[in-house]
Amino acid sequence: MSTKEALAKNDASTRSAQSWKKSEKHGAGEWLAERFTSLALIPLTLWAAWGAWQIAGGGFDAALAFVRNPFNMAAIAVSIVLAVWHMYMGVKVIIDDYLQGPMRGVCIFLTFLLSVAVLFGSLGALYLVYQGA
Amino acid sequence: MSNTTPPRPLSPHLQIWRWHVTMLSSILHRVTGSASVAGIVLIAAWLICLALGRETYTVFLQYAASPLGLLVWFGLSLAGFVHLTGGLRHLIWDLGLSFKPKDADTLATWTMLLGVALTIAFWAVLFTSGKVAL
Repeated sequence: MSTKEALAKNDASTRSAQSWKKSEKHGAGEWLAERFTSLALIPLTLWAAWGAWQIAGGGFDAALAFVRNPFNMAAIAVSIVLAVWHMYMGVKVIIDDYLQGPMRGVCIFLTFLLSVAVLFGSLGALYLVYQGA
Repeated sequence: MSNTTPPRPLSPHLQIWRWHVTMLSSILHRVTGSASVAGIVLIAAWLICLALGRETYTVFLQYAASPLGLLVWFGLSLAGFVHLTGGLRHLIWDLGLSFKPKDADTLATWTMLLGVALTIAFWAVLFTSGKVAL
């Protein structure tokens, strides 16, 4: 193999999408999920800030009308799923960095419980609003 | 368990590092990310109160629209915006850009400032449009 070919083989831009996914266990998948959720959350967070401005000062009726809008409801649901997923991965990284032994497992489990609670609480609430609560 | 497998290595704690701008931005990214956990819990609480109806939502607003509530929202929006621009910095680094120490410092400084600027702009619009008042 020439030097040129060897260089080309190591150049990230020439690697196939398949080879990007390879890692010993599941690290590459987590890496991609972190990037995917953060990329998607940039426009979603800015949209949420716009939404907060929309309903600010409008009381119950403004908030209900905003959430009942089908596009807004879908965007809220997607934002929450991605944000909870992103939160779980982020908190887990911090736990992995600073905790060892049983405390690590307990804290990751608690983070998982919190993630599930936030997910079910908010998606359940969205469903109730959708049903016409 | 720890008899069979050696414990994982831990990250160095804060007191080990010399303070510099990329280290500050890295710590802030974790702090703002952790604070955003409270943000998503409060957003879930907002949705639940909304779903429970007008009376519950009015109670929620009594807290959320109070000066203390606004201070909490301000802090959470600051955390959110700084974490967002910090994430932008990480995505730029992921592209293999701005790794020279000077460039990395500049990028870290500007993304932190952009996060603060977005927060100030957000609240300036909220107050000047009369939607939020103390």
